[in-house]
Amino acid sequence: MGGVPPGSFALLLHGAAVSLLLAAVAIAGGTVFAIALATLAFSRLAVVRAVYGLYVYVVRGTPLLVLALLVFYALPALDLRTGPYIAGTLVLVLYVGALFAEVFRGGVLAIPRPQWESARSLGLPPFAKFRKVIAPLVTRYTLPPYVNVCVMTVKASSVLSIISVWELTLAAREIIERTFAVFTILGMAAALYFVMCFGLDRLGRRLERHLLRRGFVGERA
Amino acid sequence: MIQIRGLRKWFGSLPVLRGVDLDIADGEVVALIGRSGCGKTTLLRCINFLEEYDGGDIRLDGEALWYRDDAARGRRRVSEAEARRMRQTMGIVFQQYNLFPHMTVLENVVLGPRFSQHVPAAEAEALGRRLLTRVGLDAKISAYPAQLSGGQQQRVAIARALAMRPKILLFDEVTSALDPELVGEVEDVIRALLSDRIMMVLVTHALGFAREIAHRIAYLAEGTIVELGTPAEILDRPKDPTLKEFLRRMR
Repeated sequence: MGGVPPGSFALLLHGAAVSLLLAAVAIAGGTVFAIALATLAFSRLAVVRAVYGLYVYVVRGTPLLVLALLVFYALPALDLRTGPYIAGTLVLVLYVGALFAEVFRGGVLAIPRPQWESARSLGLPPFAKFRKVIAPLVTRYTLPPYVNVCVMTVKASSVLSIISVWELTLAAREIIERTFAVFTILGMAAALYFVMCFGLDRLGRRLERHLLRRGFVGERA
Repeated sequence: MIQIRGLRKWFGSLPVLRGVDLDIADGEVVALIGRSGCGKTTLLRCINFLEEYDGGDIRLDGEALWYRDDAARGRRRVSEAEARRMRQTMGIVFQQYNLFPHMTVLENVVLGPRFSQHVPAAEAEALGRRLLTRVGLDAKISAYPAQLSGGQQQRVAIARALAMRPKILLFDEVTSALDPELVGEVEDVIRALLSDRIMMVLVTHALGFAREIAHRIAYLAEGTIVELGTPAEILDRPKDPTLKEFLRRMR
């Protein structure tokens, strides 16, 4: 174990900021993508539902590491010169999207039949039904598993170090290569991951309390 | 007016409606009674197409609802957009209230007018407040359903159905899930609707209430209307032996 050079922590902090940014983009993009995906799961056409199932099974059944390498090497082969950051973000969006989609699908399935019937009996048009009834209910039903995937996304972003995305894990590895302070640096990196995940978790809990206070009080007795 | 002719429905191989004919005149209140499984709730749900049906037709003021007979392709459901338009002429109140839990009382009532009928926000809100005052809940406008008693929730559900300015109101055992002391407040609200001269169909086990507010009572058994008449005819001078037996058990 060598000494830890000054500035290491600042470098790690910078890496953590990149990780957080990657995760934030992946969560935002993945959520939008997942909403589109999840609607496929409820299509009237069996083919469309099969496309959904295939996508989810393939993406969920592939290690993120393999997926990252695949996209990283596949994009240039398709003549798309993007670099690791775009490729890395894309991989995360594709991966997290499949996980979110399953979360949302579960949420839609959890909507009680009477709620559908109420919406139907009011003659609500599809978009209004989605915006005013389905989305708010699914949000409330799926917040805990949704936050779970968000936390996982932060940690999963570390895999992108394999395709030379400079984020917290790669920053840590670089410092370790120069200083050999393996445990100190990895410990610091782990602590930073923990802080980010813990923060997300707390945020999720607050949101949950906020949403459930408004309207679901009686159901949690 | 509503005209129901030869309504038939199966659940798989089990017939639940075996040819129901029923006319409901403007301003008329009809109660559907019968033991559970006789098809009365299914009939009610067919009227606003929460259930599909296999034969027969339902007309509202002469317009055929829910299905079209097409010479080339046979009997077909109307399009979703048409079904939505038709549903807006009806209001239904469910046994379990079925309010949207994430919306306030006022939001629940205003939802239909706002987003199905595209009534401007201010106008819809004024209508909502007026209706909630009418059902005695103007003080609970910003409460959430979970903060209300069953009776209060059911009154909100009635206001929500009325907000569509329906031609016909359907009530599906609306007091069955309520504690006995809350039944009266909901019945009072329904009673007060009589002055609107709106068509109403009530599925109910409350025979006393049916006698009081219904112009006619239909007794269903095994998927058909076995006896139809004034409350006095059905409840005091029943002819059908199964109806006599049913009334004896209800006492």
